[in-house]
Amino acid sequence: MTDRRENLLLLLPGLLLLGLAFFLPIARMLVLSVEGEAGTLTGEHFARFLTDPFYLGVLWRTVRLSLLITVLCALIGFPLAYIIARAPPRLSLWLIVIVILPLMTSVVVRTFGWMVILSRNGLIPSTLRDLGLVGRTFALMQTETAIVLGMVQVLLPFMVLSVLGVLTRLDPRLEEAARTMGCSFAGSVRRVVLPLALPGLAAGSVLVFTLSASSFVTPNLLGGSRLQVLAASIYRAVTQTLDWPFAAAQAVILFAGIVLVLAPYIRQTARAAHG
Amino acid sequence: MVREVPPALRLAAWVFTLAAAVFLLAPLVVVMGVSVSENQFIAFPPEGFTLRWYKAVLGDARYLSAAWVSLRLALIVTVLALVVGGAAAIALHRRTLPGSEVLATLFLSPLILPTIIFAIGMLMFWSAVFGPVGFATLVLGHLLVCLPYVVRTTLAVLAESDPFLEEAARTMGAGRLQRLWRVVLPQCRPGLAAGAFFAFNISFDEAVLSLFLRRPGLTTLPVQIYGQMEFSPDPSVAAVSSIMIFITVALLVVIDRVLGIRRFSTG
Repeated sequence: MTDRRENLLLLLPGLLLLGLAFFLPIARMLVLSVEGEAGTLTGEHFARFLTDPFYLGVLWRTVRLSLLITVLCALIGFPLAYIIARAPPRLSLWLIVIVILPLMTSVVVRTFGWMVILSRNGLIPSTLRDLGLVGRTFALMQTETAIVLGMVQVLLPFMVLSVLGVLTRLDPRLEEAARTMGCSFAGSVRRVVLPLALPGLAAGSVLVFTLSASSFVTPNLLGGSRLQVLAASIYRAVTQTLDWPFAAAQAVILFAGIVLVLAPYIRQTARAAHG
Repeated sequence: MVREVPPALRLAAWVFTLAAAVFLLAPLVVVMGVSVSENQFIAFPPEGFTLRWYKAVLGDARYLSAAWVSLRLALIVTVLALVVGGAAAIALHRRTLPGSEVLATLFLSPLILPTIIFAIGMLMFWSAVFGPVGFATLVLGHLLVCLPYVVRTTLAVLAESDPFLEEAARTMGAGRLQRLWRVVLPQCRPGLAAGAFFAFNISFDEAVLSLFLRRPGLTTLPVQIYGQMEFSPDPSVAAVSSIMIFITVALLVVIDRVLGIRRFSTG
């Protein structure tokens, strides 16, 4: 047996699995999305989505909320990662635990927690009512605010860990050098840390945007059926209306959107790796 | 370094960190609070203290069978992911096959593709080719989600390993299997351990694939909780959810013992 054959043997089960459970299913989905009644080629499922104001609204809500969630995760995640990176070792370790414990807990469980917090008599609405900040009929469940709150909590750890991965490799002496040269603290963060942490921030943002655009468990449970996002609409088409070609077409639209977001990022990292 | 930061800013940093920690942990704490409340309805802060919701869950056949499906699934997926992913990582690391870089990207590609997209692909493909979905479909789907993690962690460990060890074993006359088993595999061990934790945790908590591929009798724990939440949430949902949180905490403690949390989380 040659070395090459040995390696091929080692790789084979993985390749088979990728083919059977990844590429063939995706191919099947692509085919189904353009398949008409008698196996003919058709664009009717896409046309139906792209001409119906309801589904265009779903698409717009998905993009809008995902962008908002990504921005919020970046705004909270970057300072948090910076604090974790610069905190004393014990504190930093505890903060990492606080970040990854929720990450490792099922999304379903965390969403349940948010349902309790946001429900009519939950912590946040009742506190706001007691403070007299909102009226008696105030509700948070089934609103976009609820979706955003829940999703930011679900996805924040991804952002923190992406940024932290870059920051831990950053030489703290760079900042010290900037400070001794007369830079203020804010200046050193803005001119030294932020530019160097940008790859982590970019990776985290792409990840958060992708995950948020494609998630349906949290939006479904916190937003209800009235505030549908694209992934929830796909889930409905698969499990409730049983319209699989339409579900496939929506998945292709989601796929295309995500490729659109990923493409510039992948090109950028490829360039950085070669240059 | 820290001393040079203005005091007002340090205070702001403390407040911010505390707020972020509360925000991150709030849903978990609330769930655990509800699970011990004597109130019939879901309410936080909890009233009194009782373990009867836990008792209800442990006597509920639906939860028990779902837990059994989840546990079996996670264990099978973890073992398969280690074997398939570990072998693939070893082969990819050696770079003797043409296009190893492309192959490595291929193996990691399920990481960036949202699960929902290939979950519906899997459902459609399986129904068209093999008929109704079953446990095997769920194993394959979960395996695919977990595989890239094992490949990635093992590749990372191999990248820092001594490439001459295997060469040395070869010149000393060790056979192929002996080299794999005695030299390469021990080098992979930390990567495989990290990959195993990822695989078990991801499979046990996974909801998207399991929701798309569900059918009566094939309900995982997260799917059972999801269904209960959609229709009739009561404090027993909080008790199951808390049990899942405890399992996560236990897993985290084991990870810390075996690998160290810092190393596990920042790669």
